[in-house]
Amino acid sequence: MPFLKPPVVARTLHKWLGLLVGLQVLIWLATGLYMVVVDIDFIHGDTLVKNTQQPLLVPGKSAHDIASLRAQYQDATKISLRPVMGKTFYTVTTVDHRYLVDPQTGAVKLPLDENTAREIARYHYAGEAQISNATLISSNPPMEIQTRRLPLWRVDFDDRFSTSFYIDPYNGSLATRRHQYWRIFDFLWALHIMDYEDRSDAHNRLLIFAQFTGLTFAVTGLWLLFYSFSGRRRKKGNVVI
Amino acid sequence: MLLLKKLHKWVGLFIGIQVLLWLLSGLVISLLDPVKVNGRQWASPVVTEPQYIGPTALLEPAELPTEYLKDALSIDLTIQHGIPVYLIRHSDGEHLVSGIDGSLVTFESFDAQKLASQDFNGDGEVISVERGMAPDMETRNHSGAYWRVNFSDKANTAIYISISTGKILERRNSYWRVRDFFWMLHIMDYAGHKDFNNPLIITVALVAIWLGLSGFLLLFGSFNRHDFFFLRFPGKRDDVVITLFEPGVTGPRKVVLRRGSNLFLSLATHGVSLPSICGGGGECGKCRVRFEVTDLPDASGIDLLLVPKRLREKGYRLACQQIVENNMTLHLSEGTLTPPD
Repeated sequence: MPFLKPPVVARTLHKWLGLLVGLQVLIWLATGLYMVVVDIDFIHGDTLVKNTQQPLLVPGKSAHDIASLRAQYQDATKISLRPVMGKTFYTVTTVDHRYLVDPQTGAVKLPLDENTAREIARYHYAGEAQISNATLISSNPPMEIQTRRLPLWRVDFDDRFSTSFYIDPYNGSLATRRHQYWRIFDFLWALHIMDYEDRSDAHNRLLIFAQFTGLTFAVTGLWLLFYSFSGRRRKKGNVVI
Repeated sequence: MLLLKKLHKWVGLFIGIQVLLWLLSGLVISLLDPVKVNGRQWASPVVTEPQYIGPTALLEPAELPTEYLKDALSIDLTIQHGIPVYLIRHSDGEHLVSGIDGSLVTFESFDAQKLASQDFNGDGEVISVERGMAPDMETRNHSGAYWRVNFSDKANTAIYISISTGKILERRNSYWRVRDFFWMLHIMDYAGHKDFNNPLIITVALVAIWLGLSGFLLLFGSFNRHDFFFLRFPGKRDDVVITLFEPGVTGPRKVVLRRGSNLFLSLATHGVSLPSICGGGGECGKCRVRFEVTDLPDASGIDLLLVPKRLREKGYRLACQQIVENNMTLHLSEGTLTPPD
């Protein structure tokens, strides 16, 4: 094949590379658009929760103090004070267990039952909707809590965001919250980084190959702009053959 | 199609550079190994024996100085560096208070140097320790005073230790700094490197989507089934003969082209380069050739735009807009067939 002139090379490359990665480039642009337009704090669910920064009421001297807990749980590695629905509880962490202890009564409440999980979810929920469902997830977690420690209570709200709150049955905390726009974001992120399994590895070969191709595609596009616009400028004074 | 092309070109002119930067920065970010970027590559593996709180006499939380308890969000009692401590979290930071006497535990520069050296197992020594206040560029997700412990390794590692808790806040190195520079380009937040909901990127992304959409639609128009001739049975060729005349050149030249191919491109691949600036894009109007009246195809929209009526009537058409269908005779402008020196 004879030597083709640069604009012909650029145009041919742009066309064929477009066929190869054009769809992925469009996916990058569209998923990127969603991610930049939708506020990340909203995605994180910050607007759906309340009562997450409650000051702690430190319990005074009582029969159920840290000294008694240390005597009772000799293999404790951590003893914490955390508010649960505005009331302070101890959480005791041992090598293989966690306990939630009421400082007033010394009662151990574990794991939290469905009604308590619902109550806690309700307490942190900033919306008006009703709870539609509560399930204890002990194995096979859905993708949206892949990295979280199980078990967790999943409490679903009947709102337009399909909100789900995840309550830790061993310390009564709101472990995380998810909603439809988070789930869309997560799915689009998978498309953006082309990691369709774990949705977290942006160092994968498929992505790097697509990026190399996409970069060449973009370079040929910019290269063509040069010819397109210089052709435009000279059009008027064209000498007719 | 014409309108789409115009849209594609103009949007490309305005934000093409940014699209290029997105692809370039995305590529660089993906190529960098995340284990090096986050410094885990050179961090000692954490093997902790369980640290039991044990029976030592301790202060109860209520006995701690009230100034630390005020507006506390959570309190954790653990053993750290061999002593029982309460970690008290406030909305603006964390403090460690000794469980033995209620005194505030802080970390001095030599503590920080020791903690950082224990953590770092790369090839380098501590060269300096500096004090700073988070959040700054490298500690943007934290708050409070820190020690920055600098190492002499090739990756210029800096380990940030919190003054109030002794925690390792970040492990930074050249990999992270390169990544962060390209991340800044990627999300177009040139000041803070972290806000990807900024008005600039939203605007550019809203414009760029049109580049993508128009390009995607143009893709369908720019291909026809003849572009995929190589998928057909080998040996099954379907050729036409094009006879070329040029003033000043004696005798015609004949080229054999594939039926269904683009006239401009096919001639170019057979060594006949028609005059062109845009390379066959239907934009410059330079590749006009004169058809014999008997072969004259209908004028395309682009012919109407770029070839003057007078010339169209004489049989001029743009070669880049023509599909090779039948044997035909063309008249080229002077100099086209002249062999290169």
